[in-house]
Amino acid sequence: MASYAVADRRWIERGVERTSTLRFALWLVPWALLLALGVYAAGLCLRFGLNQTNMDNRFPFGLWIFLDLSIIALGAGAFFTGFLVYILKFKELKAVLNTAVVVGFICYSGAVGILMIDVGQPLRAWFTFWHPNTHSMLTEVTFCITCYLVVLLFEYIPVLLRNRQLRRVPSFLIFEHRLHLLVPVLAAVGTLLSFFHQGSLGGLYGVLRGRPFAFREGIAIWPSTFFLFILSAIAAGPSFLLLITSLVEKVTGRKLVEFSVLCRLGRISGLLTAVYVAAKAVDTLAWLNRTSPSLGFAPWEFYSYKPFGTWLMLAEIVLFGLVPAVLLLHPKTASRRGWLISAALLVCGGILLNRFILTVQTLALPTLAFDEFVSYLPSWQEVASFGAVVAYGVIVYSLSYRYLPLFPQEKREGYRVSGR
Amino acid sequence: MFPGVDGFHWTFGHVVFLGLFFAVALTIFTTVVRAVWRSVEDFRSRRATAICWDLEFAGMPEAERCCRHELAGRVAERTCPNSFDCRRCAEYEKFAALPASSPATSFGLDYPAGRLYHRGHTWVRPESDGTYTIGLDDLASHLVGKPDSVELPEPGAAIDANGTAWTLRKGRNEVRVRAPIDGTVVETGGADRGWYLRVRPEGEPNLRHLLQGPEVTAWLSKELERLQIQLGAPDAAPSLADGGILMDGLMDAMPQADWDNALASTFLE
Amino acid sequence: MKKRRYGMVIDLDRCTGCGACSVACAAENNVPPAAPRATERTGITPLRVQPVSNGASGPARREVFIPLMCMQCGEHTPCVSVCPQQAVEVDSATGIVTQMPQRCLGCRYCMTACPYHARYFNWWDPEWPAGMEKTLNPGVATRMRGVVEKCNLCHSRLHAAEDKAAAANQREVNPADYVPACVEACPTGAILFGDLADETSAVARAARAPQAFRLLEKLGTEPKVYYRSNRPWVRALAEPRTVPAKEVQRG
Repeated sequence: MASYAVADRRWIERGVERTSTLRFALWLVPWALLLALGVYAAGLCLRFGLNQTNMDNRFPFGLWIFLDLSIIALGAGAFFTGFLVYILKFKELKAVLNTAVVVGFICYSGAVGILMIDVGQPLRAWFTFWHPNTHSMLTEVTFCITCYLVVLLFEYIPVLLRNRQLRRVPSFLIFEHRLHLLVPVLAAVGTLLSFFHQGSLGGLYGVLRGRPFAFREGIAIWPSTFFLFILSAIAAGPSFLLLITSLVEKVTGRKLVEFSVLCRLGRISGLLTAVYVAAKAVDTLAWLNRTSPSLGFAPWEFYSYKPFGTWLMLAEIVLFGLVPAVLLLHPKTASRRGWLISAALLVCGGILLNRFILTVQTLALPTLAFDEFVSYLPSWQEVASFGAVVAYGVIVYSLSYRYLPLFPQEKREGYRVSGR
Repeated sequence: MFPGVDGFHWTFGHVVFLGLFFAVALTIFTTVVRAVWRSVEDFRSRRATAICWDLEFAGMPEAERCCRHELAGRVAERTCPNSFDCRRCAEYEKFAALPASSPATSFGLDYPAGRLYHRGHTWVRPESDGTYTIGLDDLASHLVGKPDSVELPEPGAAIDANGTAWTLRKGRNEVRVRAPIDGTVVETGGADRGWYLRVRPEGEPNLRHLLQGPEVTAWLSKELERLQIQLGAPDAAPSLADGGILMDGLMDAMPQADWDNALASTFLE
Repeated sequence: MKKRRYGMVIDLDRCTGCGACSVACAAENNVPPAAPRATERTGITPLRVQPVSNGASGPARREVFIPLMCMQCGEHTPCVSVCPQQAVEVDSATGIVTQMPQRCLGCRYCMTACPYHARYFNWWDPEWPAGMEKTLNPGVATRMRGVVEKCNLCHSRLHAAEDKAAAANQREVNPADYVPACVEACPTGAILFGDLADETSAVARAARAPQAFRLLEKLGTEPKVYYRSNRPWVRALAEPRTVPAKEVQRG
């Protein structure tokens, strides 16, 4: 064995098998290139301004906001699994807790990174803390996401410090141990924060009185989208975790968790998707018959601009909602890997579609009588910047998978990985 | 954000929102500070070594956490629940009273009866002046052969049982040798002098966690079996099972073997 | 000082679409020349004139020009509640929706919220050709790249008028002293400006006329910019589109 491979092996957990150093390095190369391209594109945006994007005054939110909303929703698996394990004592899900934390950390840090490029004056980000407008959903989102990213960081640190070599440093090991004992507190705080910011991200659109396509009535200061976003995020989070775990199992060719854990994730996701679909249907009916007409807008008009027809609404509720909910809840389909993964894909696809509709369709639709239906295609800089987030996620996850004990159930005979 | 800053209003919503934010931020902050503080406390009260050892022990493969009484044949199957620290084992006396069975041979290795052995392959010998001499046992010496370098603690330094006593370097491998007992280093030796440390414990030490008598050969047998599997080299290993003699400087002789794993198991990483 | 509600009534039957208001607005407020790559949708036009036709062709075709700017919404002001850092406020004394570009983060949430598309993001660094900086209005701060701006009813002119009133020991601003640039520039006098809270003012009376209307009134945002027209099809433009897209076309 070459000396670098020996040195590399020493950082890998005892008792687990990982691909060779060379193959791992080759796997990282394309992602590193994508990351480099994206960082360059993001640099262009920071240096020359947002004229590098194809957003404009009529389309002030674009690809970045849509994907930010999506990855934050998909990253909800992190807080929700923590909530299920530590607060509701679903011990079985401990098998995916570490991977949930890593995925959550990647999603949130990636989203915050993109937001920092997306705003016109990133150096003024602290203004939100200094002069907060507490009526703004975006203020709540900013506060909660910042706090939650710190929480995720301190949930990720114990996983990181459990690395075989880092663990050898006594102070790291002790800190990991002490922090780990307090993680339930962080999980509880994370749950509170996540409920609020997932909701507020929905509120972001629900409060837009000037955009009757998105505007919703609700309870007290929270429009219905506040609750729908929470529901859809906790429905999609477990599905996304299921997909990631299955994908990693597929890519690495190793069994990482018991199939029953995936089934459990699927069942939770299915149940919540069913509740979400019901709530979404009621909300849509209320909006069609009450909210939109009361603002002077005939709701069917919104669907008269092709290709954004009513099929989109139906697809969102039936194909990406009802269908996967049934698949995940029916005992026959829920116990087959293929169906489970397809259903999870549909649930996650539904989240993407929902966030897409709320971001893109809302902005594309005319409000004034003489407005046009506007279109927007992201520039290469926008796409590449987002590609960088994906590459960053893959790289961080790959490194974490290789060097950290992410899956306590991954074992070779007689060995038990020290992930807890 | 704060009263006096432009934009701060003494309204209900504003106060509730900021109050919640500060409560959350404070909770996160206190949690982290508490973790740091407790870690510092662990080091101050010298609990850190024991906690580290407990954590690492919990991460060891189950097969390597076998109770000494199982090795000695006193009990059929038992995984140690006390991180090999028999001093805190409530059932020690119960098992120790049972008759032991063990191989009569020590496999051609030199394990003098006057010494006590730690599961991390060190030995302890009480001296007449109240100090204890600590050395690397014969199996470990055979594996490592002549280490490339040794890093010993300074005289006067304190070592804790199951903490790192000294480190050896051999090729690309670094081995942390675990201390068998607590104490203050009085004198340091080295590989060529046959012993590494002389320590003076505080008061009369409890040494019941160290192996002695028939347990030693039983343990050795199990260790050799493990090594044979781990090193997995068809040319060298069978000799061990056949009662052959472990060759000196095995690491030099078998550079291609999985020493990373073998050394970790041997020295209880 | 009594509470004022500055607003305007724009007579669409008088507007010729000359664009003088737009130019006056840009000159008054130090709007930089458009960047070379700027488009209709990335330029800065706090006041733009929108041509709209009735969709007919031939002799039946009719056109109207609609000057569009910030509608100074008085209720549920969409942009105010969304701004995360209080860079947008409704001034309680004047009813003017103020924008503080120096506090703006550039998140563009307010632009998403505005149904009138009256907010503009500075996509480029503001640049003036050499020598043109001499034409800058010293009373108005320029805006940097990455922040949002909009019509604030020539706020600097209001400040000047208030200063003048204070210097003369008068409690109230003399209406003749505070006239936004667009109102001043309009050659046909199509824009009537004043205090809507003053029931007797010309603008308040014009706003109460049956021919007066506001855009998207049902949203409940209570805009303070009114339009008036004697032509029913023009007044119908106040409502959101309820007819197939092809029937109303931009001119």
